Amino acid sequence: MRLQRIIIFAILLIVLAGMLFPVYWMVKTSFSTQAGLVIQPKDLIPSGLTIKNYLDLWQWGPFPRYFLNSLLVAGLVTFCNMIFCLMVGYAFARREFLFKNLLFLSVIFVIMIPAHIIIVPLFLIIKWLGWYDTYLALIVPWMVTPLGVFLMRQYIQSLPRDLEDAARIDGAGDFKILFSIVMPLCRPALAVLGIQVFLTTWNTFLFPFILTSSQKMRTLPVALALYQGYQTIDWPHLLAASSVAALPVIIMFLFFQRQIIAGLTAGAIKK
Amino acid sequence: MKHKTTILFLLPWILILLVFWLFPILYSLILSFTKYSILSGEIKWIGLSNYLELFEDPDFWTALKNTSFFVVGTIPFTTFFALILAILINQKIPLKGLFRAGFFIPSITSMVVVALIFTNLYARDGYINFLFQLIGFPTPEKGWLLSEKTALLSIMAMDIWMSTGFYMLLFLAALQAIPEELYKVSDVFGASFWQKLWHVTLPHLRPMTLFVVLINTIKSFQIFVEIFVMTKGGPLNSTLTMVYLVYEQGFHKFRMGYASACAYVLFFIILVFSLIQLKLFRVGKAVGE
Repeated sequence: MRLQRIIIFAILLIVLAGMLFPVYWMVKTSFSTQAGLVIQPKDLIPSGLTIKNYLDLWQWGPFPRYFLNSLLVAGLVTFCNMIFCLMVGYAFARREFLFKNLLFLSVIFVIMIPAHIIIVPLFLIIKWLGWYDTYLALIVPWMVTPLGVFLMRQYIQSLPRDLEDAARIDGAGDFKILFSIVMPLCRPALAVLGIQVFLTTWNTFLFPFILTSSQKMRTLPVALALYQGYQTIDWPHLLAASSVAALPVIIMFLFFQRQIIAGLTAGAIKK
Repeated sequence: MKHKTTILFLLPWILILLVFWLFPILYSLILSFTKYSILSGEIKWIGLSNYLELFEDPDFWTALKNTSFFVVGTIPFTTFFALILAILINQKIPLKGLFRAGFFIPSITSMVVVALIFTNLYARDGYINFLFQLIGFPTPEKGWLLSEKTALLSIMAMDIWMSTGFYMLLFLAALQAIPEELYKVSDVFGASFWQKLWHVTLPHLRPMTLFVVLINTIKSFQIFVEIFVMTKGGPLNSTLTMVYLVYEQGFHKFRMGYASACAYVLFFIILVFSLIQLKLFRVGKAVGE
């Protein structure tokens, strides 16, 4: 039994090294002192480190803008989702209304539907609305995500009704009940939802890419993907930029592991 | 009890659903029967022509072949590795948390970033070739992503690497939901590790396995980002996938109708696959597992 455990542990260590190596390679190269070289050294432990590549990025005109775009879009989408999914989830959990089942089925339907089907029509709709290449295109369609609605509904259903009933007897209005009684109780679920939406939006590429055209509207993933188009690739700088996109997410994950795992597995477990 | 605010609470979802989901889905179905050029703004009903043209388009068949190969070639490996890792992590070993977090990190990294890192690793003078030469294995002459024979396989390997951790977590959650008593009872009867695995663990993981395969199928058929970043469908269409074809037709050639037809064919394929898998799932339930 002891031997078995040692073998398992060894296997897991090897797998871990394989899983983390590419990320390590990115970070290592981003601190490389040899930014000008075409062929990068293969040593695992670098002989010299520098933060010059990162400083170059911040001085390079558009980069801070990409970063702020990502932050702004992900932040606003997250905020909207926390408010709206709470509202919609509350209605599904606590109210009776016409076509309730059908409407809830629409939530599941949108969770499952392959999003590629809306690439072309969404682009055309955004053009008609006059939102092409604006922040509106990056934010409005994602303000209420079906997974968020699902998550909030499940959570609110598990809460006791007593507090709401008591508040209603005291004469509190619906909005007051929702935002001052239910919302504080939902803090754990809202944390899960918020982190999940933030990460997804921060990482997303396809729709921001389709729905914008100018350089000043690019988010980090879009900027990174389009940078690659040029002939020679300056890896230390490109991977420094990639690290700026990836490391905040990884650090956030290490801090909020429990919530992130809960958010990602929520849809799967609850069924 | 009637609440006037119910509709107000529901409104955000109703609006988003109608404007950004239901309408686009219907609109692209209609578009698929038209010839619509975004440049001239002209729209013309052409019936099934887009679909007929699509079925005679060699690019479509190449894309379908590559996409199917990608789906069939990654999902079994991803599922298998995820399952094994989940079972291993679930044993009594130290540093569980570290392994779980470490395996999951690739999944929370942006696809674009992952694709860039691997473009670097797969390059002719990249790390993977360096390792291969070190142990004396043959390497593709132009780098992994620039050779027809290896480009798609390389992207598939990356995808398995990236998504295994996510599915491992799903399996881990399912493993932890298995009642502890079942193992205790098995121990009383002197069951071995393998017997417990075969008779207790695996049957309980069946619903999750089907769920994992289902969501991975839906996701994998839509592979696009890694293709866009790493190969743009090349070399010689060897990594051309269905969604990349939709993108190319819609946004390079501005053939919105044709692109929509292509998207709908893929949609239909995914639907059929999902229904088959759900059917298998139901059959499993009826048998009483």
